[in-house]
Amino acid sequence: MHPAGDPDSTASLDQPPGCCPSAWRPRIIAFCCNWCAYAGADLAGVSRRQYSPEVKILRVMCSGRVSPGMVLRSFASGADGIIVLGCHPGDCHYQIGNRYTEKSVDQVRELLDLAGIDDSRLRLEWISASEGEKFGRIIDEFTRTVRALGPLEAPE
Amino acid sequence: MSGNGLTVPDVRRCLECGRCSYICPVSHMTDEFSPRKVAEQFVLEGKLRNDRGLWQCMSCGACTEFCQSEVRFHEYLQAKRRELRETFKAEDNHGGAPGSMMRLTANKSVHTKKDNWVTPDLKLDLDSETLLFVGCTPYFDVMFRYLRDDLLEIPRAAVKLLNASGIRPRLLEGERCCGHDAYWLGDEDLFDRLAGLNLDAIEKAGVKEVVAFCPECYSTLKQVYPRRFGPLGFEVRSVAEVIGEKIKEGELELKREEEKVTYHDPCRLGRHARVFEAPRDILDACGDLVEMPRNREMAACCGNAAFVNCNGSTRLWQLDRLREARESGASRLVTACPKCLIHLSCAEGQNVQMIKGEKMTVVDLHVLAASRIKRV
Repeated sequence: MHPAGDPDSTASLDQPPGCCPSAWRPRIIAFCCNWCAYAGADLAGVSRRQYSPEVKILRVMCSGRVSPGMVLRSFASGADGIIVLGCHPGDCHYQIGNRYTEKSVDQVRELLDLAGIDDSRLRLEWISASEGEKFGRIIDEFTRTVRALGPLEAPE
Repeated sequence: MSGNGLTVPDVRRCLECGRCSYICPVSHMTDEFSPRKVAEQFVLEGKLRNDRGLWQCMSCGACTEFCQSEVRFHEYLQAKRRELRETFKAEDNHGGAPGSMMRLTANKSVHTKKDNWVTPDLKLDLDSETLLFVGCTPYFDVMFRYLRDDLLEIPRAAVKLLNASGIRPRLLEGERCCGHDAYWLGDEDLFDRLAGLNLDAIEKAGVKEVVAFCPECYSTLKQVYPRRFGPLGFEVRSVAEVIGEKIKEGELELKREEEKVTYHDPCRLGRHARVFEAPRDILDACGDLVEMPRNREMAACCGNAAFVNCNGSTRLWQLDRLREARESGASRLVTACPKCLIHLSCAEGQNVQMIKGEKMTVVDLHVLAASRIKRV
């Protein structure tokens, strides 16, 4: 079986013992901007760089499109972790889109803090189109972080 | 009666007199909605023709106030929203951020930390019998800082006023949103979860009285919670009521200044919870209160209640209210609700920017009163 489709292949991502039922797999959303991060993800794919299969990639035209409402809504609809990936500062296809991203992400961090939710569930990173390897590394790292934190909503 | 403590008011008593449509803020500005029209569609056709009938209403309660057949239309529509919210979806404003915050905190496992606004000069007491319910203002401060950067002054001012009248309140650990928006949008599950968590926490705190500065929290705690869960083991009062009383009793004095202000009754505090005079007592002690033509029961709504379906007619309505405030001759427009403050400031900001109109400053009642506390 292809490793990415095998649920056991993620066992190497250090699930802490007893933190959560072993069947639990984090639901992670990666917002990728069309011009850099998505191309980076594509490069990771074509170079056969394997990364955590828990991540669902959502393409947006610019990471600046990701409003606080979108992130909060994803969390409220069951995401355990959200990573926003955009172009490096200065490289934005729309000049300053990623500056808006920074603002929005800061705003959501503040809101998560008020709600008592660990803000390491939200991460912002810059990935260029040539950084396929970095994309894979960051996704793996982030998955490990979210796995360690456990599910966002404890089962009642 | 739908068997869960929430009633569905009977709309068939309607005589089609049209008083509701005359007073309804939405039907003033758009042809697409009027209480009478919506009631007629439900009664004659058994269903709504479109989503506007369901979501344009701001549940301000003006129609109910003026109905001579005692149809409680805004509550009727709330009941219909419970049924139809999956069929006709509401349009969330602000990317759905306020609603998502509500859903995110409606879980036992999260521990909210909403006391970031507390400054050392505020006197709180962990064993107090009075609890201050803070509500969503700390969230709004983050979301709407681009409109108002002083929203956290409201809870601070509320504590200062309570302190000045000899009350040291405590805050509720693990306080959730009161569930106001969920209730009026017909989301019963979410409302029950939020209210249940709050009631458990208040019970655990064992307080005798809960005070709230936000009219929505106040009316929800005072009116909706008992309707849904039976009598509460504590009293609920608004900060305006507490302070108004203390001023009347002479226990609290405010500095009077020569300034004309006018007061915008928030619908939840006024028409819903019937607190009309307490804020006026406070303003009389602060300066000269001039009334706008539409005041008390007649008061105009600020244009939105639960952060859904804000649109052009909302904006027209808000600009109309601001014009009314300017024409009253007042220099500042006072309101007692954080949401009214946000909505009217938003309209005012655009008004000044685009139409180059004369600026009307909108200010919160608690903040104004707290700035006039006489130092002993």
